[in-house]
Amino acid sequence: MSADAGIAGRRSLERAVVVDQVRRFADTLGIVAIAGALLLGFGLTSSQFLLSGNIRNIFVQISVVGVAAIGETLVMLAGGLDLSVGSVVLLSEVICADLTATHHLPLGVALLAALGAAGGIGLLNGVLVAVVGIEPILATLGTLLVAAGLAKLILGLRYLQVDHPVFNDLAVTNVLFNLPIMVAVMLGLYLVVSIAMRVTPFGRMVYAVGGNRRAARLSGLSLIGVTIAVYVVAGVLSGIAGFLNVAQIGLVSQNDGMGLEFQAIIAALVGGLSVTSGGVGRVERTLLGALIVGMMTNYQTIKGIDPSFQQAFLGGLLVAAVLADRVLRGRQ
Amino acid sequence: MSTTAPPLLRITGMTKRFPGTLALDGVDLVVERGTIHGLVGENGAGKSTLLKVLAGDYRPTAGRIEIDGEEVDVSSPRRAHELGIGIVYQELSLLTNLSVAHNISLGFEPTNALAIDERSLAHTATRVLGRMGVTSIDPAQKVGKIPLAERQLVEIAKVLTLRQPRILIFDEPTAALGQADVDRLFRIVEALRDEGVAIIFVSHRYREVLRICDRATVLRNGRVVGEVLCADTSVGQLVELTLGQKVAAAFHREWRRDEAGEPVLELAGLHVGSRVRGVELTVHRGEIVSVCGLLGSGQNQLARAVAGDATDVAGSLRVNGVERTPRSPREALRLGVALITENRQEEGLFPDMAVRSNISIASLPRIVVNRVLRLIDGRRERRLAADVAAATGIAARVLSRRVKVLSGGNQQKSLLARWLMRRADVLVLIEPTRGVDVGAKLEIYRELEELARRGAAVLVVSTDILETMALSDRVAVLYQGQLAGIFDPREVTEQDLLLAMQGGVAAPA
Repeated sequence: MSADAGIAGRRSLERAVVVDQVRRFADTLGIVAIAGALLLGFGLTSSQFLLSGNIRNIFVQISVVGVAAIGETLVMLAGGLDLSVGSVVLLSEVICADLTATHHLPLGVALLAALGAAGGIGLLNGVLVAVVGIEPILATLGTLLVAAGLAKLILGLRYLQVDHPVFNDLAVTNVLFNLPIMVAVMLGLYLVVSIAMRVTPFGRMVYAVGGNRRAARLSGLSLIGVTIAVYVVAGVLSGIAGFLNVAQIGLVSQNDGMGLEFQAIIAALVGGLSVTSGGVGRVERTLLGALIVGMMTNYQTIKGIDPSFQQAFLGGLLVAAVLADRVLRGRQ
Repeated sequence: MSTTAPPLLRITGMTKRFPGTLALDGVDLVVERGTIHGLVGENGAGKSTLLKVLAGDYRPTAGRIEIDGEEVDVSSPRRAHELGIGIVYQELSLLTNLSVAHNISLGFEPTNALAIDERSLAHTATRVLGRMGVTSIDPAQKVGKIPLAERQLVEIAKVLTLRQPRILIFDEPTAALGQADVDRLFRIVEALRDEGVAIIFVSHRYREVLRICDRATVLRNGRVVGEVLCADTSVGQLVELTLGQKVAAAFHREWRRDEAGEPVLELAGLHVGSRVRGVELTVHRGEIVSVCGLLGSGQNQLARAVAGDATDVAGSLRVNGVERTPRSPREALRLGVALITENRQEEGLFPDMAVRSNISIASLPRIVVNRVLRLIDGRRERRLAADVAAATGIAARVLSRRVKVLSGGNQQKSLLARWLMRRADVLVLIEPTRGVDVGAKLEIYRELEELARRGAAVLVVSTDILETMALSDRVAVLYQGQLAGIFDPREVTEQDLLLAMQGGVAAPA
């Protein structure tokens, strides 16, 4: 009888193992299939969509939000949320532009100062969430206002023109296929971070803390250390996203980065992350999420759809992604 | 109308499957009106799952429930309430800041035009308490102010507010009660039975089950393995049915350290809040020491304090001669103390991570190669994880699968493997075989013995006396947070331990 039970148990384990394998594969395949289907559908219904110039446009358009979304993904994987992303992009742009254009400091100094400020906001986020114990959504709502306020204090009512050759190169010089450097920077960051998440203790700890905080604590991980680290990384990446935005537009104004946090969150959600719990998802899938959102926005623009509608559409996409997450993960 | 009325409750073919486990496997149960039906079984036998199905907390995978011959769908706790099914839970669910009267009507407060109708609330409380023959409780008193035994009565009073209670379930109602309170509880239960209510009585205390129940159903591994008439049954028979192959009794230590190793964990005058009061205990290298006591005697707090997962710890705690009271699990781990709690899912596993990563998560520094880049050496991780997996009986091919697909037993083994890889000096386990099937239980005992043989000091908290007796070198019994005695399980009987747990005197070994 016990031998029977043993065999039955082993068989049910085998089945569970296979089901698990299939489900994980389907998870990745699903998002790739959606991206492919959209590419095909949009290509068939628009003569401009698949033109190489337009594909280049899509990549350029998603590069800023794409970089910011990497940081957002790490924060969400660790079970948090970062609403300050857009303001940090603005702060980084303003510091960088002000130091080079107004104070004529060397670009290197300006970039370091901007990254420092961006990382500083991230540090503040991490301390508020992990040490003080404020809910991530409220803590980062607070720093959203702090960072935006600081940026506007420096900027005043000016528009700052930035025409440094380095920025021009970022946006104009093509490096791979006909994609400009800024796209290569984004793709490179995705490559580095997604590998780092797999092969470094930091990556493991982020998944562990997001997957089960209690267990992570009892396993001796530092919840405070990991939480602060992901917010700092998110801040620095938002700072880099700011540079790309300056490169793309060549001008810094008060409304830069506004709403970017929501686009980053939507990209992460479409890529399969969960807002309710961390520990599940992949950085590289966020890239696909950003591409899907980018293709949809681009297609609507080609078709001449009102930008206000496009914004409403993004909101709908956010809700749809959350619902899909709930259905796919199954509710107990 | 047929001549024989259908039973009040009939459950047929009840099945509940969770990922990786079959918690209930075709359970049949019949409870007649005006009878008390015992439900017994080991932890993890399926009792709680069955109760949760009846309470509308879980949706069954298959099976039917009939009340008075009519099939019902207990789709939610509210629906259970409407059907007249009430459960008195073992973990008290009362809100200590509210009055007795508020607690009794919680969730179903009578209202007048404006707000909660306080008079009607007080009236309800007086009525149900009166029905139970309880006059010692003041309905206006806050629950936090009344003794534990009386809170249990409030818990029952809560269930009696059902418009028409037909089926009442008592989940381990006597776990925290003294003898006089047990007698009072039994009188109330019997009075309810005489009113025609069908009662299901869940308990680990077989003597009480045999005393109060008419019939009892024994569950093992999600199946019914027997139904007995209590009048014709002995405690021994019930124990045998529950354990099947007498799992714990079937376990015999193969290895014991001949002479005492050096002390690894030394507790002196340890206090944890008001739950643990002045405990002295030493665990040596290569030794398995169990701590047992009735539910709530302080054993869990003691275990968590040792592993840095408790606040308000006073007294002396030494690990490997270093005197320090760890204030976090991280600090305890640095001292060499690891903890496996009774909540595997909430406090142990990372469900979506691979089994291998679950094992290596506490030993990341051991698998890092490049000090500068701090990269994980995949080959080294696979080798070390495979070693500890083999030592704990985890099949190599499941190592890359997510841990949530494993059975309870294999999940527990992967936690053992985690601490084996970490090379913990002191391993503290709370209820290590809860929710684990029979075969895996024996394997886990064997693993703990193996850990001890490799030089660990093992501290086990268990409410399973047979397990304690079979597994340990010494058994420390706590009674109301104080050490009631330390025993050698080879020199005392199960009864001696039980007596000590109830605060009785037994000659310590």
